[in-house]
Amino acid sequence: MHPASINTTRSYNDCVGQWIWERTRPEMVVSMVNCGLHLVIQTSSLPEKNKVEFKLSKDTSSFPGRLLQHDLERNYSSRQGDGRVLSPSPGSKSSCISTTTNVTELCGLEMKTATSSLSAFGDSSIQTPSKSRIRQGCHSAGPNVSGDHVNLVSSSMPSFPILQRSSEEKILYSDRLTLERQKLTVCPIIDGEEHLRLLNFQHNFITRIQNISNLQRLIFLDLYDNQIEEISGLSTLRSLRVLLLGKNRIRKISNLENLKSLDVLDLHGNQITKIENVSHLCDLRVLNLARNLLSHVDNLNGLDSLTELNLRHNQISFVRDVDNLPCLQRLFLSFNNISSFENVSCLADSSSLSDITFDGNPIAQESWYKHTILQNMMQLRQLDMKRVTEEERRMASVVAKKEEEKKRESHKQSLLKEKKRLTINNVARKWDLQQNRVANIPTNQDRKDPDSPSQDPCPVNGSTISAFPEETGPLDSGLISALQGLSVTDTHLVEVDGDTLSLYGSGALESLDRNWSVQTAGMVTTVSFTFIEFDEIVQVLPKLKIKFPNSLHLKFKETNLVTLQQFNALAQLRRIDQLTIDPQGNPVVNFTLWKYYVLFRLSHFSMQKINGTEVTQNDMIMAERLFGILAHVASSELPQYRMISILGDARKKQFQYLLEPKGKKPGIISEENNDSKRLVGENTNRATLNYTTRDFYNEKLEEVKEKKKFCKMYIEDLVKEATEINMKNEALQKLWPQMFIELVRDAVIEIRNKNSYMKLCLQQITDQK
Amino acid sequence: MLSPERLALPDYEYLAQRHVLTYMEDAVCQLLENKEDISQYGIARFFTEYFNSVCQGTHILFREFSFIQATPHNRASFLRAFWRCFRTVGKNGDLLTMKEYHCLLQLLCPDFPLELTQKAARIVLMDDATDCLMSFSDFLFAFQIQFYYSEFLESVAAIYQDLLSGKNPNTVIVPTSSSGQHRQRPALGEASMLEGVEASLFYQCLENLCDRHKYSCPPPALVKEVLSNVQRLTFYGFLVALSKHHGINQALGALPDKGDLMHDPAMDEELERLLVQVPGLVNSVTASSEASCLPSRTPSRVASPWRPLHHSRKVDVESDGSTEETDESET
Repeated sequence: MHPASINTTRSYNDCVGQWIWERTRPEMVVSMVNCGLHLVIQTSSLPEKNKVEFKLSKDTSSFPGRLLQHDLERNYSSRQGDGRVLSPSPGSKSSCISTTTNVTELCGLEMKTATSSLSAFGDSSIQTPSKSRIRQGCHSAGPNVSGDHVNLVSSSMPSFPILQRSSEEKILYSDRLTLERQKLTVCPIIDGEEHLRLLNFQHNFITRIQNISNLQRLIFLDLYDNQIEEISGLSTLRSLRVLLLGKNRIRKISNLENLKSLDVLDLHGNQITKIENVSHLCDLRVLNLARNLLSHVDNLNGLDSLTELNLRHNQISFVRDVDNLPCLQRLFLSFNNISSFENVSCLADSSSLSDITFDGNPIAQESWYKHTILQNMMQLRQLDMKRVTEEERRMASVVAKKEEEKKRESHKQSLLKEKKRLTINNVARKWDLQQNRVANIPTNQDRKDPDSPSQDPCPVNGSTISAFPEETGPLDSGLISALQGLSVTDTHLVEVDGDTLSLYGSGALESLDRNWSVQTAGMVTTVSFTFIEFDEIVQVLPKLKIKFPNSLHLKFKETNLVTLQQFNALAQLRRIDQLTIDPQGNPVVNFTLWKYYVLFRLSHFSMQKINGTEVTQNDMIMAERLFGILAHVASSELPQYRMISILGDARKKQFQYLLEPKGKKPGIISEENNDSKRLVGENTNRATLNYTTRDFYNEKLEEVKEKKKFCKMYIEDLVKEATEINMKNEALQKLWPQMFIELVRDAVIEIRNKNSYMKLCLQQITDQK
Repeated sequence: MLSPERLALPDYEYLAQRHVLTYMEDAVCQLLENKEDISQYGIARFFTEYFNSVCQGTHILFREFSFIQATPHNRASFLRAFWRCFRTVGKNGDLLTMKEYHCLLQLLCPDFPLELTQKAARIVLMDDATDCLMSFSDFLFAFQIQFYYSEFLESVAAIYQDLLSGKNPNTVIVPTSSSGQHRQRPALGEASMLEGVEASLFYQCLENLCDRHKYSCPPPALVKEVLSNVQRLTFYGFLVALSKHHGINQALGALPDKGDLMHDPAMDEELERLLVQVPGLVNSVTASSEASCLPSRTPSRVASPWRPLHHSRKVDVESDGSTEETDESET
């Protein structure tokens, strides 16, 4: 067969050298697995264009059964690989029965189509008439030729029997020779049969393929059930189309280089571990490798005509390259070791595949098995020998869509999770840096970092990449690359998960300015702060109170809670049921008294849990015992002007924080006003224990400094003035007695002469008039 | 008003030296800060209350550190307030770290410097690891010395260092002083071998220091008593001895004797009253919140926390400590 004919053979049945190869329907049946072969060969090499039908059977007496067996093997799911053993599966049994009638029908059908041929199949006799029997025990038995028409004669060569047929026989079956069950241990020398096209050595003990190199017109060679260990001696058989080597001892696929026309290659039941040396078989349509020792499938390139591939009963765990087989329609993978669709994902890319089996694999046990397969292989018409119905396909697509959605969702989730993780890493790094910087300013390295912020992300990036393999197994590379782009610059993270609002990094506090939906805001009951200075949190507490009125549980981690008085700041909230202070980054938790102080200071909340531990009555009493006096002193002994000043500060502070985000509605402020009134009554005697952040406190001190300066001057002036007045006063006091005496003396002297004094007085009166 | 010193000084200096100016300034400052609120209830009332609170020692509550340390009276008041507020912690038997004590101090004075607390802890722990736990009374008495006499102790530390290194401290601190001249050098060689300095030499320096020191000093007689018991001593040994000396504690007058440290019946009574409220806490908060609002506080003031222990003695402390021979004026 010359290559040019390939194209035409695809379109016309009667083309030269074309094997018509159809499924059971409609009219031509070719059961073509290992054991029996049902072939219709149209060869133009026969001048009369007669069709030659070969009926090859390993066991002719049981032909109908065998055919049935084939039928099952092919059409139903009794997949026992080599087809020799019927699967006991009940499903196939029932179909087995139903097909028994079919067989005869099929036979009839075949008869009809092949009537004009020379085929003996037309005979009611099932035995192939062309069969020649050679009865030969072994070499020692000598050329003991028995059988109907064949003589096996010792050749000149010592150990090979020579086969000769009677001329009559030759004329009748000129192109076929069957030497089945002849107990042959070697291939006999076949003389004068150069035009043999079909040669059958089934069920012998042949260990080596020999002496057939002269049969160059051989199309069909059946060596089923022998003891061949190596494929050899076939290099001259260039016309060979069908090579059946099932049930031998072959370990390696080899020496097929010249069999370019090979159409069917049956190697089932051997010991082959690897698919190799087949890539040149571009005309091969059927490859049977069932019951071998394959652990995986690949190296399938070049098998451009392969339509059926049988790989049952191997140990295959993954399949590759199947998408490189453009004509593959049937693939049998039953009874292997495939456990996930990912291992056979190339199947999804094959557009021609219409029939596949996976039964007997771990994958077939999975609940998702059927719809996953159907969804991924839309082209499939049969799965595990059952027709795929529209309904099933629809179901599969629905399920798959759901799954897809779920997957996408989880993908999204994991993306988010990853992003979150990275961001948190980044925030943590920043936080550490900040903490260290606070601790040791003078070190050069630390000073360098803030100067070059562009350097900062680099180590972050590096470390996240190195962290990937351990945590992000299922993430594909695309996801990773997507992640790398996004997170490095994020310095904070805000996350609402159910009823928990998590804030990472001080930047996250700005999110409280956002317009949260009423629903979200109402749902949030837990607020968690991580990597944020507590002092910064304090400033947003009033906002938190407004935006998340239902927040009952506060969590602090890495927030630099250092002193007890910082807890005072929490008292301004509306309500706290639970408080969780993570020891990490909050040294205050190491104190013996912190819990009691919290209980004491926030006693108006009647807290239920601190750091996950239930608050008991005893705790409350202890807290009161320890700090009650402080509160008492603070409330009863604090001078009123101080009280006003302290509470006033608290109020002022609240106003200030409220006014900061400009453009607030006045309504909110008045509401806040109510709150601060409430604050005064809030807890009887501990309102004076409040906390001002360091910055604010320093600011205040700065402010006070000015006033102090003024007061100092003012008092200085005042006191100086007062002391001066005092001095003058004292001086006056000293002078006064003398002055008085002088005055009296002057007066006495003046009125000494009574008459002249009277005259003078009268004169003055008249002058006045 | 007509005490002898009153005539010895110009009025202004006298007022300044007696810290009257400090309080006047502060009063005006406070007034300025809350002028709207205060003008509502009367400026005369305010000044009355202010100076009352100064007398009672409650004026330092929650004030800034610069004010708290401004006068000996403020310091004593703060010590007393600290003792009163956190006596219960000591009573409970808790041993706390320096940092935790510092937190407690900060509850009363938000910007209380860590340095002072550290120094006080060093007295207790003899300059060892400052992360150890201390009992309340140990800390309190050490803190008292450190806080009340902090400037004095700084000078003492300088003197001690000078003595250790063999310098004559007086020549360093007061070059004109003649009292240091006759001191003997030979002791130095031995001194560097042994730990600390010789007690008598040390005392002479301290006496000298007390004479000229314008800040509060412990009464020299008591210092002498402390130093007379030993031959040699180290700086921290000296501080520990000071802190444990109950005479000094009495002279200072802010705290009760060590034996009575946990004893404060008035406050205990108050505490019992508070504790009764705890079991029904949820109810009592709402119930009492109105009752204890601002105006109704005053009645409890009747029992002054300061006076019974202390008032008469205060003058002594001041007079023998700082005033007599100081002729520099504080401005």
